Amino acid sequence: MTATFTDRSPRLIRFARRVPVWIIIGLLLVVVVYPLFWLLTGSLKTQEEFLNNPTWALPEDWTNFSNYVEAWTTGNLDVYIRNSILAVVPALFFTIVFGVAAGFALEVMVWKGRGPVLLAFLAGIMIPGQMILLPLFTIYFRAGLTGSLWPLIITYTAIGLPLTVFMMATYFRSVPREVFEAATLDGANIFRMFWTIGFPLVRNAIFTVALVQFFFIWNDLLIALTFTTRDDLRTIQVGLLNFTGQFGQVQYGPTFAAIAVNVIGTLAIYLFLNQRVMKGLTAGSVKG
Amino acid sequence: MNRVLGDPRAILVLLGPALLVYTLVMLVPIFWSLGYTVFEGNPITGFEFVGLDNFVALANDPKIADALVFTLKYAVVLTIAQVGFGYLLALIYVFWLRKASSLVRTLAFFPVVLPTVAVALLFQELFKIAPVNGLVNDLLNLAGIPSVDWFASPDTAFLVLILMDLWRSMGFYAVLLYAGLVDIPDDLFESARLDGASGWRLVRHIVIPLSLPVLLSSIIFSVNGTLKVFDSVLALTGGGPGNTTTPLTLYMYQTSFTYGEYGYGSSIALLLTIICLLVTIFIFRSSRRDLTKG
Amino acid sequence: MTTARTRARRFVPLIAGLGATALLLSACSGDSGGGDATAPTDFTYLSFAENTSIQDTLTSLSTGSCSAEEEALPLDITTQPQASYDQQLQLLAGQDALPVLFASGNSPQVAKDLNDGGKLVDVEAALEELGQTDAIIPAARSTVEALYGGDVFVLPTEFNVEGIWYNKALFAENGIEEPTTWDELTAAAATLSAAGVTPFSADGQDGWPLTRLVGNYLFRTIGPDALQKVIDGDASLTDPEYVEAAAAVAELGEAGYFGPSVGSIDYMTAVNQFLTGEAGMFYMGSWILANFNDPEQNKIGAENIGFMPFPEVEGGEGSRDQLAANVGVPLALSEASYGEDVSAWLDCFAENFGSTSLGEQGVITGFAVNEPVEDLPPLTQAVQERIDQTTQSVLWFEALFNAKAAATSQTNASQLVTGAISPEEFMEMVQADLN
Repeated sequence: MTATFTDRSPRLIRFARRVPVWIIIGLLLVVVVYPLFWLLTGSLKTQEEFLNNPTWALPEDWTNFSNYVEAWTTGNLDVYIRNSILAVVPALFFTIVFGVAAGFALEVMVWKGRGPVLLAFLAGIMIPGQMILLPLFTIYFRAGLTGSLWPLIITYTAIGLPLTVFMMATYFRSVPREVFEAATLDGANIFRMFWTIGFPLVRNAIFTVALVQFFFIWNDLLIALTFTTRDDLRTIQVGLLNFTGQFGQVQYGPTFAAIAVNVIGTLAIYLFLNQRVMKGLTAGSVKG
Repeated sequence: MNRVLGDPRAILVLLGPALLVYTLVMLVPIFWSLGYTVFEGNPITGFEFVGLDNFVALANDPKIADALVFTLKYAVVLTIAQVGFGYLLALIYVFWLRKASSLVRTLAFFPVVLPTVAVALLFQELFKIAPVNGLVNDLLNLAGIPSVDWFASPDTAFLVLILMDLWRSMGFYAVLLYAGLVDIPDDLFESARLDGASGWRLVRHIVIPLSLPVLLSSIIFSVNGTLKVFDSVLALTGGGPGNTTTPLTLYMYQTSFTYGEYGYGSSIALLLTIICLLVTIFIFRSSRRDLTKG
Repeated sequence: MTTARTRARRFVPLIAGLGATALLLSACSGDSGGGDATAPTDFTYLSFAENTSIQDTLTSLSTGSCSAEEEALPLDITTQPQASYDQQLQLLAGQDALPVLFASGNSPQVAKDLNDGGKLVDVEAALEELGQTDAIIPAARSTVEALYGGDVFVLPTEFNVEGIWYNKALFAENGIEEPTTWDELTAAAATLSAAGVTPFSADGQDGWPLTRLVGNYLFRTIGPDALQKVIDGDASLTDPEYVEAAAAVAELGEAGYFGPSVGSIDYMTAVNQFLTGEAGMFYMGSWILANFNDPEQNKIGAENIGFMPFPEVEGGEGSRDQLAANVGVPLALSEASYGEDVSAWLDCFAENFGSTSLGEQGVITGFAVNEPVEDLPPLTQAVQERIDQTTQSVLWFEALFNAKAAATSQTNASQLVTGAISPEEFMEMVQADLN
């Protein structure tokens, strides 16, 4: 009898200790997943349901996909999504390539004046984006770039650089210097060293920075609003404004459907890359 | 060795593109914008030199004081909240969930990736009172508390704003801080436990001191982001009721583009930039100090 | 205004299907060098993204009555969301790259500034040259003149009268006659309130439907020039007779006549409250007819909706006959690109816009209707007749304000009504931004 008691007790305790864990997981599930669920059910509701039914009510017709049709056809979602991809992917590519190279030059290489240059980049993290809009518009106009997606690509690249450079510099800082010094003693060419040693060392970090930057750029509204002068250049976030009328009328259903499409897309990318990101963030991140 | 690692041509090739883009697209426009601070007008009406008038107006504008106070209040409260809750979550990941934390980390991180417009719409619906109650008011009613018109008073609107941004960023900070915590060597804890430390004392005397660098970076990181808050305010409250939730960035945007006062708008931006630069120098100092230490 | 439901297919992008490189290259060489435009190659029109009726009317003209002009100078529509429209206009004007035709911005001040900078075509003179002096109807002309200091440099592509729409059935049930004075109006509101009906449905989130009441009250007490006096510096919003108007509206709020939490009610919710019979009265412009005529939205029936001008205030200078009116967001023409082809377009526009818009979009414009439109919904017909009878119109509260004062007024309106700020404070804040 004593034997069974001592046998059972740790299991009970272990079970009791796990209860709060499950409660926390359950709470997080509710807090994070419920809004998503609500968004998806909202995209199936009619305007009338939005106005006259309680917020938590489920859609009356689960097969009402007309909001999606509306969002897709009159909302031009396909064009906007394509524009977002065409603006975000090149910008991300440039930000990463330029940023990693600059981070390498600023942290691994030895030269006078890297302190002030790093500080100059850092200052960029603090600059409010609103401040550069007017001069930039003038520059792009004079350069004949308005009416294309270039202003978006260039601005996103530049705005993403400070954080990327700063984070890359910190990642390179956490790599033991001996790695690079040994390579130079072996007579390795500096560019080769960058590609074969530097780049692979921070691969996880690159994924992390890329993902953080991706969501920042993808969700940008301010820059996209300012520099897209044509409807056919508009990005998805600007497109979401399309369901609001001139006097403030909102078409809730199609708005929700458009957001749902947007969110499901980002969710897929996120889940796909999640493991790498978590690894990257944990690997070095912005630890001082 | 220094011949290779200090090769000027290589530095130019590696650093050049980033520096060029950054200078042309960020630095030049910033100084260009600063030039506007001594002018009045906009591209439609033309610009007129006014000397230091804008700065005099800046000092005497009650709305600037309001916006500044709001910006600082928001930055401080949200930083405490998001780093605090993030840290709490991180502690739970490390000491409680251990290996099982991956799923929870993923879940908690998810709101970070949602577009601001969508999140704001969500919170507006959750906290709404008209024409039908949102979920929050429904729950209050269940508990016997009458419905609250959340967006009608400055304090409750501020609260909803903080809750929204906390919801959005908590998971992100949790992962950042988690990264710092998992690096603490296990034997440190063991020896502390052997000395009889446990629970809160363990956290206070071992965990917090050891994770101080990453905690500090997170705080600075957060202050920077929150000082520049724009999207979430615009999307959730539009700066209202009245202008009680208008941060400097939004006031600057309205001044420049809605009221057509570029010079004044640039002066506001300068004020914000100076505040931010002070933080920059702080961040830089602390990260350098850390480098020499390690 | 009829929103996306009736929205025609958007401008089909020419670049669809091309790869990224091709897109970037072609776009790069495409739209550049507009800096010193003289003769335009397209009839470019920049519209509010939110307003589709003007776009649709223009498109219809280009394939119909104005196909010859379209041949010479093809129509090219671009849009910009309202939120960033003024900003975009400023940026374009700064580069001398204004489109040929464009919506004149969120506040009348934008067009005034542009005109002061010599960037707009004098529409009055241009129409006279074309022999189209009667193209703009008198009521619309007087509104435009009042709004822009006596000059006509915009095209009134919309003409709305404003007033209080009421639910006839609810009025009859509670024995209410159409109120003609402010006291009768508040009495009617009290009766409705006692019967458990929200007296007024109002979009407090956007604020302007509330300040409209303040403006109308001023026009009734002080007269149609009430706000011109403020702009001219002959009076101040902080004067007691001006504060009285804000106080009168605040009292409606205090009595709960806007229902609970008016500040959280958005436009669609306000419309819905009225159209489901929850609210007895609704102050709104005649653009709302599109919603009233839609049986999907209108549960109380169009025949059940009555229209009354804003009531008189006892002892006031103004009268009920002075209907509040506006021209929506009128269009302006860029001086830099005005030439032979554009004036041909203007000619055709002036001739046909009114009837095409009314017939196809159901939108009443400030242009004369050159051929009678059949089968108008009765409510629209009634409003059209009301407009024809109107000789003197008044503007709205913020019409003559600069953008800053207008924004202050609208963002603080719900606070005025909920009692968070006093009428004195409200008027002081707005006056401070006018100085």
